[in-house]
Amino acid sequence: MLTALKRQHALIWAFANRDFATRYRSSVLGWAWSLVQPLATLLIFAAVFSIVFRVQAPAMGNGETSYAAFLFTGMVTWNLFSSLLTLSMTQLKSNGELLKKVQFPAYAPVLGASIVQLIQVALELVVLVAMFLVLGNVGFTWLIAIPILVGTALFAQGVGLILSIMNARFGDVMYIVGVVLGALYFLTPVLYPMSLVETHSEALAWIVKCNPMSWYVQAMHDAMYALTAPSAIEVAALLVGGFLVFWAGFSIFNRFSEDIGELL
Amino acid sequence: MSDFAVEMSNVGKRFMRNSDRRNSIKERIVRGRAKRAEDFWAVRNVNLDIPKGSVYGLIGHNGSGKSTLLKMIGGIYRPTEGTITSQGRIASLIELGAGFHPEMTGRENIGLNGSILGLPRKEIADVTDEIIDFSGLRDFIDDPVKHYSSGMYVRLGFAVAVHMKPDVLLVDEVLAVGDEEFQRKCFDHLYSLRRAGKTIIVVSHGLGQLEALCDEVAWLERGTLQEVGEPTDVVASYLKRVNAEEAARNPMATATRDAVDHEGGLQSALRVKSVQITGVDGTPLNHAETGTTFTIKVGISTTESVLGPNVRIALQHETGPLVTMIGNHRLGYDFGYIDGDRSVEVDLIDNPLLPGRYRVHVDVFDHTGAKLLDSWNDAAEFPVRSASGEIGQGFVQLRAEYRLR
Repeated sequence: MLTALKRQHALIWAFANRDFATRYRSSVLGWAWSLVQPLATLLIFAAVFSIVFRVQAPAMGNGETSYAAFLFTGMVTWNLFSSLLTLSMTQLKSNGELLKKVQFPAYAPVLGASIVQLIQVALELVVLVAMFLVLGNVGFTWLIAIPILVGTALFAQGVGLILSIMNARFGDVMYIVGVVLGALYFLTPVLYPMSLVETHSEALAWIVKCNPMSWYVQAMHDAMYALTAPSAIEVAALLVGGFLVFWAGFSIFNRFSEDIGELL
Repeated sequence: MSDFAVEMSNVGKRFMRNSDRRNSIKERIVRGRAKRAEDFWAVRNVNLDIPKGSVYGLIGHNGSGKSTLLKMIGGIYRPTEGTITSQGRIASLIELGAGFHPEMTGRENIGLNGSILGLPRKEIADVTDEIIDFSGLRDFIDDPVKHYSSGMYVRLGFAVAVHMKPDVLLVDEVLAVGDEEFQRKCFDHLYSLRRAGKTIIVVSHGLGQLEALCDEVAWLERGTLQEVGEPTDVVASYLKRVNAEEAARNPMATATRDAVDHEGGLQSALRVKSVQITGVDGTPLNHAETGTTFTIKVGISTTESVLGPNVRIALQHETGPLVTMIGNHRLGYDFGYIDGDRSVEVDLIDNPLLPGRYRVHVDVFDHTGAKLLDSWNDAAEFPVRSASGEIGQGFVQLRAEYRLR
C-alpha cells in the first residue's frame, strides 16, 4: 500500500492542487469561508447548550471551565472525521466523467480531496489553539493531540474509501450515511461531557462508549482541554487502530475499484 | 520483446443490460441478484495483433464494439474473457479534455491532465510550451477554460494528449476537431508520430480518412471481427455490406399514378403513368451507382395516337440545383406515331451522377416541341451511391482525359 501511495504521490498532489486551487476561486473571501461555518455552529451550540440546557463542562487543566472551549475541542475532532468521510464518499461520482475515460488509480482524487480538507481542519485547529491561549489553558499534553488527530484522519479516510466505492455502486449510500452521521454526532461526547450521560442512563453511556469516535474525541478532551495525558497504550491503540482501518479501506477500495469505469 | 504493440487473444467483454442493473440497495434486496440471461456481449472472440509502428483502423456500425475494444486496450474496461497485452505507455484521445476543470486556467489544466495521463511532473514542465504552441492558444492560456469555446477546448485536449509521448495512441472519432488548419496540424502530428515508430489505433466513420491514414483496418460487427487486412479491401467489403443492408431496407425507386385528369387544364390524350429506375437488364433498382449504366423507364399511355412526342427528363439534386435536362428530340431520337401503353427507356451511360439523392421530373411535349402534353413534377426520387466509398465534389463526374505536354 505504501509503495503504491509513494508511486502515485504526484497524481494525488495534482488532484489536491486542483481542489485547492478551485475550492474558493470564485468567492471573494476565499478560505475565510471555511472558518465561518464551524464558528457559527460553535456560537449557536455554545449558546443553546450552555444557556438553555445548562450543560456543565468539566474543569480545564487550569481549573476553570469553558463550555465553548470544551465544545470546540470536540467539534474540531468530529469535523475532521465527518468532513473527510462525506467528502471522500462523493469523490468517485464527481470525478466520474474522468474515471470513465482515462485509466488512473481511482483513489488519487479521493485522497487529493482529503489533503485539501486537512488544510481546513488545520485552520480550525489554529483557532482552537488561539482560544486556549486566550483562556490560559496551555500544556505539554497538547503534543499528544498530534497522534490522536492523525489516527482520527486515518480512521475517517479508511471508512471514507469504503463508503466511496459503495456510493459509486449504490446511489443511496450517501443518504443513509447522512442519517447515520447525524445520529452518531449525538452519540459522541461533543456537546456534553461523558459524565453527564453516565449520571442519567447506564445503557446510553454504554452505547456512547462503544462508538469509536467517542474514543478519539475523549482523548482530545484529555489532551487539549483537561491537559491530562491519556495512557501511551491508549494513544498507540488509537493511532494503530486508525492505520488498520485505513489499510483495510484502501485494500477494499482497490479490490472493488477495478471496474470503476463501468460502475459510474 | 514482441513485434506487436498490442496483442489480443480471444478477447470478450460482457455488459449487464442497463435495465437490469441493481442500482439501489433496496432493489438488490427486493429483487435479488441480476439474472445472467440479460447479459450481453459487446465484444467477443476478438483475436487481433497490432504491429508496432503501424496505424491501425477500426470500422463498423454504431454499437459494433469498436469503442469498447478501444477502452479495453486503454485499460478503462477489463476484458471479461481473454487477454490483452500491450507494450509501452498508452495515451488515449477517447475524450479530449476529459480531465479539464472549468475553473482552472489552460496552463493549470495542462499540468493536471499530464499527471492524470501519467507523465512525471518534470516532463510535463518540459512539454508545456510545446503544447501551448501546438494548441495555438498562447493568448488565452492563463484564462480559466470555462471561458474557452468548444473548439479551443478540444484543441487544448488534443495538444495535451499527443504530447504525452505515448507509445500507443488511441484515437476515437476525434479527428474532426477544430478548423481546417488545426485538423491538418493534427494529421501532420499523427504522421510524425508514426514516422517515430509509434503505434496509432483509430476508430472512425470517416472511411476515406482511414484508407489514407491506415496500414491495416479491422472491421467489427456486433462485437466480432468480420475482416482484417488492407484498408481498401476491408473498406470496400464494409461498404458493400452497408449498401446491401440499405437496399434491403429501402423500397424500389418506382412511382405510378392512376389519375386520368391532367393538372392545370391540359387538353391531351397522353398520360405519364409511371417512372422507374432499373438496371440495363430491366430489374428494378432502389439506387443507382456512380459509373454504372442504369435506366430511367417512363411509362406512358395514350388514348389517341400521338406523333413523335419529346419526352424530357429533368434531374434535380436534393439540395435544389437542376443537374441536367435531357430530351429525345435533342439527342436525335424520333419515336414516330405511338399509341396505347408504351414505355420509354432512357439509359444513362456510365452514370456520371455523383452520390446523393436526385429527383426526377418528366415533361412530354408534342412533335413541334411547343405544346405540353403531360407533366409530372417530382415523379420519383432515387439515391446514387458509390461502390468505392468515394464521395466526390459537385454533382457529376464528367468523363475527362489528362495529357501532359
